[in-house]
Amino acid sequence: MRALLSLAGLVSLVLVAAPAALAQGSFAPVEPASPNAEGIRSSYLFVSIFILAIFVLVEGALIAFILKYRRRRRARFADGAQIHGQTRLEILWTTLPVVVLFLIAAFVFIELPGIKNVPEAGASGELEIRVTGRQYYWQYEYPNGVIAIDRMRAPVGVPVRLTVSAPDSDVIHSWWIPALGGKIDAIPGRVNETWFEADRTGVFEGQCAELCGVGHAFMTASVEVLPEAEFAAWLEERRQAQTTGDVALGEETWEGVCAKCHGLAGQGALYRAVAGSAVLRDPQAVETLVRNGRRTMPAVGAGWTAEQIDALNAYLKESPPGGS
Amino acid sequence: MAVRTEPHPAYQGKVVSWLTTTDHKRIGILYICTSLLFFVLAGLMGLVIRLQLMQANGDVVDPQRYNELVTIHGTSMVFLVGVPILAGFGNYLVPLMIGAHDMAFPRLNALSYWLFAFGGAVLMLSFFAQGGAAQAGWTSYPPLAEQTAGHGQDLWILSLHILTASSIAGAINFLVTIHNLRARGMTWTRMPLFVWSIYVYAWLLLAVLPVLSAAITMILLDRGLELGGWEIQTSFFDPAEGGNAVLYQHAFWFFGHPEVYIIVLPAFGIISEVLPVFARKPIFGYKAIAFSTVAIGFFSMLVWAHHMFTVGLPISLQAYFMIASMVIAVPTGMKIFNWLATLWRGNLAFDSAMLFALGFLSIFVVGGLTGIYLAAFPIDWQLHDSYFVVAHFHYTLFGGVVFAIFAGLHYWWPKMFGRMLDERLGKLSFWLLFVGFNLTFFPQHLLGLEGMPRRIATYANESWEGYNTLSTVGSWVMGVAILAFVVNVLVSRNGPRVGNDPWRAYTLEWYTTSPPPPHNFDDVPYVTSPRPLYDLRRRLREREGARGAA
Repeated sequence: MRALLSLAGLVSLVLVAAPAALAQGSFAPVEPASPNAEGIRSSYLFVSIFILAIFVLVEGALIAFILKYRRRRRARFADGAQIHGQTRLEILWTTLPVVVLFLIAAFVFIELPGIKNVPEAGASGELEIRVTGRQYYWQYEYPNGVIAIDRMRAPVGVPVRLTVSAPDSDVIHSWWIPALGGKIDAIPGRVNETWFEADRTGVFEGQCAELCGVGHAFMTASVEVLPEAEFAAWLEERRQAQTTGDVALGEETWEGVCAKCHGLAGQGALYRAVAGSAVLRDPQAVETLVRNGRRTMPAVGAGWTAEQIDALNAYLKESPPGGS
Repeated sequence: MAVRTEPHPAYQGKVVSWLTTTDHKRIGILYICTSLLFFVLAGLMGLVIRLQLMQANGDVVDPQRYNELVTIHGTSMVFLVGVPILAGFGNYLVPLMIGAHDMAFPRLNALSYWLFAFGGAVLMLSFFAQGGAAQAGWTSYPPLAEQTAGHGQDLWILSLHILTASSIAGAINFLVTIHNLRARGMTWTRMPLFVWSIYVYAWLLLAVLPVLSAAITMILLDRGLELGGWEIQTSFFDPAEGGNAVLYQHAFWFFGHPEVYIIVLPAFGIISEVLPVFARKPIFGYKAIAFSTVAIGFFSMLVWAHHMFTVGLPISLQAYFMIASMVIAVPTGMKIFNWLATLWRGNLAFDSAMLFALGFLSIFVVGGLTGIYLAAFPIDWQLHDSYFVVAHFHYTLFGGVVFAIFAGLHYWWPKMFGRMLDERLGKLSFWLLFVGFNLTFFPQHLLGLEGMPRRIATYANESWEGYNTLSTVGSWVMGVAILAFVVNVLVSRNGPRVGNDPWRAYTLEWYTTSPPPPHNFDDVPYVTSPRPLYDLRRRLREREGARGAA
């Protein structure tokens, strides 16, 4: 009985101390920067209370029984207590887990709207960005036609809706920036939705979470959250640049789309070196290559706008990889 | 009754007799040895994976080779280790435990084994195929699995088809054997719990393997093939042609989730045999454990989409799959509590087999509990496909199944070979495996929480390096543990001989000699409870007591 009481005491201590302890350090999902990530984290911490309590209960009983009922001086094959079972205990440990699971499910459903639903837009409205996962880069399209690759810029404090997909000819990817919420798959032939509303400025890193091929590990993504005015300025600057051969977009394209396989200086990485290749100096050849692919190279630029092709060519002209 | 004739003289050589055997005990040993060989091979792949990830920007192997290793490591551990080694235990033990002379269909049994051996060879040799082995993970999701060039993926499909045929034949054999060949007096509620687990294992294999076969056949046809001038090119999973890539995931996980229980249930069965013998008690709640085995088997077919919470299913479906998944936790909890109660007021002896069984209990609890996070779908949106999941399923499949298998090997080794394994080496390999396992896989929970996705060939984030290095060091400790076991096996060839029943165990396999003769039993006692040998010994004692009093 005393053992039972002390075990119960231990369990209740864990109940009180667990969430606080877990929230410190790396025993919980990363520090959230958006309400949906916050909701997931508090669900995680709530579930942790029960998980740790059950863990301590079971492992505690296991260790206690191992110590208490070890053989000591008894004969090796002497019988233990010949108990075949007990119905009341069976009922107890069938119903208790049901109660615990009910509580967990109830808490999840209470937190769910805050995780799933996009919050009401404030004075500055909301922003919608189309996210496309492709081997092995992320492409973002803003409502005004601005295109960005791998690094997304977003305003702080504004709900950002993401529609996430992948081209029909591509494979499945998964969009995941841990601080800004859970992941959602980018699936060819399907459009999924998710959102975030960053509560502070900064850069939040993530990467593709669904095995998508040889370059999977290099398919990184980041979201740079800017003050609203700064974001608006960036968006306008990019829009204007895009009409005249946007070198910034060209650079992002080179780094995000080309360099993962061919190296930042075209020195070769996952695949062959391209530095100094005549193709890179011929805008027409570049366009044919990226739109159609060649041999093992997928059509990484299928579906790109003319502006995006121009941007890449403008960058290649201004700073040819590996020097001219 | 199985028909048994003397083998033809040409088949009596030392090697030939093993190659042509239809004896369930020899087939069981062949299954176990072949699976252990694949376990070592797939384990070595795991060591290379850990070496690659030990430090940021590791380049021990290139990313394509890494993806091949991840794919074949996972596929082998499930199809060439988990399922067949338990089929091996089942083959060896089921006829002995139910007092039969052999399986119902001995030749079909041999066919099952040889299909398994060849299927395994196809998978392992696919590394040498044009374009290397399959690279799309053990789940092989399309469109990726349909777009990878070379023959690796096709051989992966071929291998799984062969293994499926092997398992189906084996499953039918188990079911017929268990239904028809039980000893007199062995009613369903007197059947050993390991036999119960193999019974449910066999039904699950029959129910879900055909769905896997269909799904991977669709991938094969989508990849396109030429048959005598006919070109076949379908588009089941190709959205450009109106197909649906998510459809495959439904089919795969309808098979894939029960597959987890196909492996785990017989492991549970081993634990339910080992604990009572080393606690000198009957199992606590026999009927509850048998019932929970059936319940887990049934519910495992209703939870598949909890592997798909991030594909964008409607919330109502996700809610259903969360609740259904949580329902499975209830019978699983029943088992754990009943095992704990089996230790209560026992006379515990800590031989290696018992240590592995207790290690199983302590580790499997963790794997079960982390599953609750993953069943809660909004939490899964964060944790899915991260290293948290890798840690979770290694706690269930390695910590659960492999520890149970080692418990079983140490427990039944004297029955199979008539000699004891060395206790000191056994305890050494247990402690190394226990420490190494937790060192390898516990830090992976934390990596997942920090945002490290699974199946990445390398990473640039240096803050992940510490946990990864710990994990890699742990994998070496496990390597040494397995080495200690191998040494133990070699040494045991000169180990002390044992009689019929070195553990004073309870079930019929200990009634016959160690190792048993080809026909298993000269006679089988009438079975009066789940512990026929305990009853026999008691009656013997009573008779001696009566004689002493007289």
